Amino acid sequence: MAANPIHSYTLVITGAPYSTQAPQTALSFARAAIAAGHTVDRVFLYGDGVHLASSLCAPPSDETHWPTEWSIFLTDNGIPGVACIASALRRGLVNESERKRYELSASNLLKPFIIAGLGEWVEGNMASSRTLYFHAGG
Amino acid sequence: MGTLMVIDQPPYGIWAGREALDMAFSLAAFDQPVSILFTGAGVNWLRTYQDTREINQKSVEKNLSAAPIFGVEAMYACARACTQYGLGPENMVDGVVLAENSSELIRQHSHTAFAG
Repeated sequence: MAANPIHSYTLVITGAPYSTQAPQTALSFARAAIAAGHTVDRVFLYGDGVHLASSLCAPPSDETHWPTEWSIFLTDNGIPGVACIASALRRGLVNESERKRYELSASNLLKPFIIAGLGEWVEGNMASSRTLYFHAGG
Repeated sequence: MGTLMVIDQPPYGIWAGREALDMAFSLAAFDQPVSILFTGAGVNWLRTYQDTREINQKSVEKNLSAAPIFGVEAMYACARACTQYGLGPENMVDGVVLAENSSELIRQHSHTAFAG
């Protein structure tokens, strides 16, 4: 039997936590992929998916804290997590430099996420052998 | 080859189509081959003379007209969806190729993407 090919993945999450299962499904996939010897090049948050990078989510204590789970996973595995800047600014997700630029009252970007343009997604498409999308569904 | 961005959401009432268009323009801006397929309610993007004043929204017609300028290679519309939504040559923007077989179109591209 031929060995399964090793893939590098760019994961795109467009569904928000707590209104869709997209961040949860994507995390399960990412963990399974790495356990099987594949690599995850980067995770790109787009549209409502940017809510995953908010440091201000406070779900009830008996529910999984998906932003924290993702933050730990990305840090432990050295995987860049990127939130699309256009999606983020529209939805109230800002880092410190955007807070200053738009003179907002607070910043709320969770580490290790960064904010960058769609070019990061384009680059992921080119660099990875697979790009997978995790949408809201329905 | 290249990416096929699929827009299957109507132009108003939901943002996903606009974000799909931004993705297509972004690929084109980085010189990556990209085409767009409008299908389902997404074919309503292609309607001419969209009057959006009463819903207080920007018309998407201007956004869409930038596609060739950005370098989007082709715009396809699902022929069956066009029939369903009453779109024909008389009320559709120029430069759209009718696709009788969307699955064949998807096979011709190396990537397929939706915005959500």
